Amino acid sequence: MDLSTVKERAGPRQFGPTDEMPREYREAATRMIQFHANSEIMGAYIERPFIRQAPSLDRKLAVSAQVQDEIGHGQLLYRAAENLGVKTREEMLDELAAGEGKFLNCFHYPLDSWYELPMIMFFVDGAAMRRQASLKRTSWEPYAHAIDKICFEEGFHIKHGEDILRELATGTRRDQEQLQEAFETWWPRILQFFGPTDDQSTHNDFSQEVGLKTMSNDQLRNAFLNAYLPKAEKYGLKIPEYPRVEYHENRDHYEVYEEDLDWDEFFTVARNELPTGRGQIEKRRRSQDAVEWVRSAIESTPSGGETPAAAD
Amino acid sequence: MIFEVFRQETEKDYHTHVGNVHAPDAEMARLFAQVAHARRKPAKSLWVVPKAEIAEVDADDPGVAMGGTTQKEYRWATNYSTGQMAEEIEASEAEQAEAESTRRRAGEDRRRGGDD
Repeated sequence: MDLSTVKERAGPRQFGPTDEMPREYREAATRMIQFHANSEIMGAYIERPFIRQAPSLDRKLAVSAQVQDEIGHGQLLYRAAENLGVKTREEMLDELAAGEGKFLNCFHYPLDSWYELPMIMFFVDGAAMRRQASLKRTSWEPYAHAIDKICFEEGFHIKHGEDILRELATGTRRDQEQLQEAFETWWPRILQFFGPTDDQSTHNDFSQEVGLKTMSNDQLRNAFLNAYLPKAEKYGLKIPEYPRVEYHENRDHYEVYEEDLDWDEFFTVARNELPTGRGQIEKRRRSQDAVEWVRSAIESTPSGGETPAAAD
Repeated sequence: MIFEVFRQETEKDYHTHVGNVHAPDAEMARLFAQVAHARRKPAKSLWVVPKAEIAEVDADDPGVAMGGTTQKEYRWATNYSTGQMAEEIEASEAEQAEAESTRRRAGEDRRRGGDD
């Protein structure tokens, strides 16, 4: 299939492993799915310490279930990326361990206290869910298939995150202050979740033309802010004045002041050069090394060798 | 010889156990399976497996611990009351509620002991 045919036929779940796809499509899809898979894995590593630190047994169980889910999502996604034929799962895991794999900006920052957890589990995961829901209509069918299962589970994570948020927001004054502080720290990062605005984004046009993405960064950010800012206010969180966000009722549109956000830092993060992010990558590499013996045991089993079907 | 038959309806479905056939060899088994399980109903593919090749772990066997008996409400979206949510979260929760009621119905069918 040549690129113009791809653009013509692009639509929800239009292409799969039996289609002969052009190199550009396979590379763009691999970049996108690999990024998503890496983010699931690195997100799990951010949340993992809170299995121990959770203040109650119920919370421990739920955080632990959440971490398991994220790792599972990562595996599903590597599989969906693998059958594009650009990179093997091994290569993608090695890239992540070597600090070459890209992942979501928010997972490069340290998470020091329980008060910060809802910033990830509610706001960041909520933003991710908004994006994932739009990907049920992506043109690469194995990706959409993986997204089905991811969306099925993700609702629990966000509601659990909101439950923690509510608990802290209705707690002591000290709880509320610390929560507000965490919100202020995370606010600019949350705004940067969807990347630069449409006029600055490099990969957006191509991904939309071939149906990999179905909504632009701006559209997604608007939908997210529309649904989540009222929630923040409901729990008494004050939206920081800076970086500025303004709501234009006539266009139902949030204007984010791009110049208020630190894009130098954003791109430092994107290049995996933030010290805390490097620490996270290193931690992940050590974990991967530690279980190398499991992988080699599986690979030396005679029944191996057959590639399982796409995301199931 | 008994062969168990698993039918996949469309490309996106799992193979589901639909019954078995008696046949002298694998080739005949495939043929019988086609006639018995894919002639009327739509099918994308069939797996035809010698019964002896299917390993079974039975919940009644000593030393076997299966899941499903532990309280796991903490892991479902339906268990957290957070009020109105973004539409994609509502959709996810609806899927979980649907899965839960399917599980419950299946449980009741099993207890009634039959597929009548």
